Amino acid sequence: MKKILLLLVSVFFTLSIFGQSEINYSPVYTVTKVGDTLTMKFQYNKGDGGDLTLAQFDFEYNNKLLSYISSTSQAPSGASYARNNWTGYKFNPKADTSEDDMDVQYTWWKDEAGNNSYSTSANWSVERTTIQTSAAYTDGNEFVKYSFKVKDKFNSGYDNYNNIIKVNWANYQKADGTAIQTIKSPSTQSLTGIEGGNAGAFTINLKTANSAKTDYSYTIKNGAGASVATGDFDESGQASISGLENNVTYTAEANLKEDATYLDEVVTVADLALVFAEAIGASSGPSGGSTTFDYFIQDIMGDVVGDGGVVDFQDSYEILAYLQGVTSGNTNRITQDGKTEDYSGIESTYGAVANNTVTFSKSFTPLDSDASTKTIDLAHGLVGDVNFSHSWEPTVNSGEKTTVASSSSFRISSAAGSKYGQTETANIDLISEIKDGQVIFSINSDIEGMVGSQFNIVYDPNILSLENVIFDTGNEMTNFSNIIQDGLVRVGSFDQNVSSEVKQGTPYKLVFTPLENITNASGLISFRVKEGVKADGTQINFIIQ
Amino acid sequence: MKKILILLSLFLMMGCYQDDDLVTLYPDQDVPESLQIKELIGIKLENTIVTDRVAMNVKLPLDGKYRIKIRHGMNNELISQEMITAGEGDNLLKVYVASLEKSGYLIQLTDEFHNVLGNQSFVVN
Repeated sequence: MKKILLLLVSVFFTLSIFGQSEINYSPVYTVTKVGDTLTMKFQYNKGDGGDLTLAQFDFEYNNKLLSYISSTSQAPSGASYARNNWTGYKFNPKADTSEDDMDVQYTWWKDEAGNNSYSTSANWSVERTTIQTSAAYTDGNEFVKYSFKVKDKFNSGYDNYNNIIKVNWANYQKADGTAIQTIKSPSTQSLTGIEGGNAGAFTINLKTANSAKTDYSYTIKNGAGASVATGDFDESGQASISGLENNVTYTAEANLKEDATYLDEVVTVADLALVFAEAIGASSGPSGGSTTFDYFIQDIMGDVVGDGGVVDFQDSYEILAYLQGVTSGNTNRITQDGKTEDYSGIESTYGAVANNTVTFSKSFTPLDSDASTKTIDLAHGLVGDVNFSHSWEPTVNSGEKTTVASSSSFRISSAAGSKYGQTETANIDLISEIKDGQVIFSINSDIEGMVGSQFNIVYDPNILSLENVIFDTGNEMTNFSNIIQDGLVRVGSFDQNVSSEVKQGTPYKLVFTPLENITNASGLISFRVKEGVKADGTQINFIIQ
Repeated sequence: MKKILILLSLFLMMGCYQDDDLVTLYPDQDVPESLQIKELIGIKLENTIVTDRVAMNVKLPLDGKYRIKIRHGMNNELISQEMITAGEGDNLLKVYVASLEKSGYLIQLTDEFHNVLGNQSFVVN
């Protein structure tokens, strides 16, 4: 029993001899994003240590992630306070000891390490605080507050904000100079959940059926609607953007240049046929009804008059008038030479239907924690291009229609679920020849069942003058020929009743008069758009041998 | 006898020459050198890089109808075609490229039934 008592007394005595205090440090406020001010308090915890009259401690912070703003002494009135700092240094703790043992690390620095206590390190700065008082420091009182600005870790070389502040050593002394054993808490200070900051390399992938990707531009706007990034897509349809911030929501849109040379090829007789079919069969909108379209987005694209996303005969006649070169009383939205009507949105929602509305969601938010948010696929479409010749065909399920018009001769033979955009090929002969001093351009066809056709013919207006277009398409067809611009003429036919077909033989003949003496016409006449459509809606892509 | 042997030897040596070694004689001396075609049939442009128009020689085996086709240099799509009626031998014509897009092309000579008789690539610059 005597031994036990002696042991207990020894333990108690030992604990009394080695009583210790703490230095605590922690943020005063929670910081959440880059640019926030991190205020750190450094605080005395007496524990069972002695009365403190001298406190000196040394901490280091990561200057790539924190930017020093200010420091404010919290020492009591009458106390002495001093701050020192050195940028570009990092403490080397004593090997094989606890880094939390502050008085051991202090002794290491002061008496043992010599030149080895600190090493140069550009990423770190060392701060040293010294406070001396005549009266004992009150338990729980703060020594000092430091303010730092949280920096963007982009290009810092760091992936996170872990261990950005660390107390290196502390020298606590009583009034008689006796050292007080001290530990620190926590071991290091980290920040988590920091949002914002440069999103780094951000990529936009353009989604379009058009092969001329460099004709598209992008615009990124912030929440206030201000443009923060613009540029062009490269030939692969990609754009690399820098300067966006994490956790900030932006909108993205794509636009096709209005001086693209092929805009008159976007809306053709194939689109006209689809819009006519829809007008005959449905007059539908996203709210439902019988329809020939495969996607709700076609209601938007086909509404060239712009009367609320409803495709009707007004739209079909507007497209027909456009192809005929006739100016109607309407202001149409048809994509045409010198004019684009763009729709764009994030591909995963492009053309989706939400709350009975076709959507083109443009919003995105880069997140540092999710690399997949650093890339978006941006889909683009053009008004009037209902057959998606130059537009992105939606892939989102909610954007698909399921009903099929039964009142239209179009697509009756189509199996349920099949897409309207089916195509077939057929041979045709387009050829120029000099006859009797004139250049005759003939379009020869033996295709059966073709209810519409269109040819955009290019010629050299400095050498040829278009004198006449001779139609031999049959009695029921509505024919059109109009000069889109000097040297470009659009020729074609369409049967609005979808019952008659373009006559076989030579349905179209263009007669040119040479403006200079020529012996042949090679290269003078070339052809761009050359397509037809059948009664069942099938698009015919002509092949010329 | 010796002269006859020498003469026979010369004939024998000439018989061993390949056709390519023989100099082609052009009956139509108006064909500039840059448009001359060695073969009996073919098509040749005066220049490969063209800006507005270029001279072309179409050398034909027989009188008749032929097609001159211009195809895109990348996808081979036919973008222009002319039917000519021309005579046997050299026919000096022109190719007009001012209304063609700047790109690479292939110009092709075929008979009336699309059998290819010759071709040459060119660039509109």
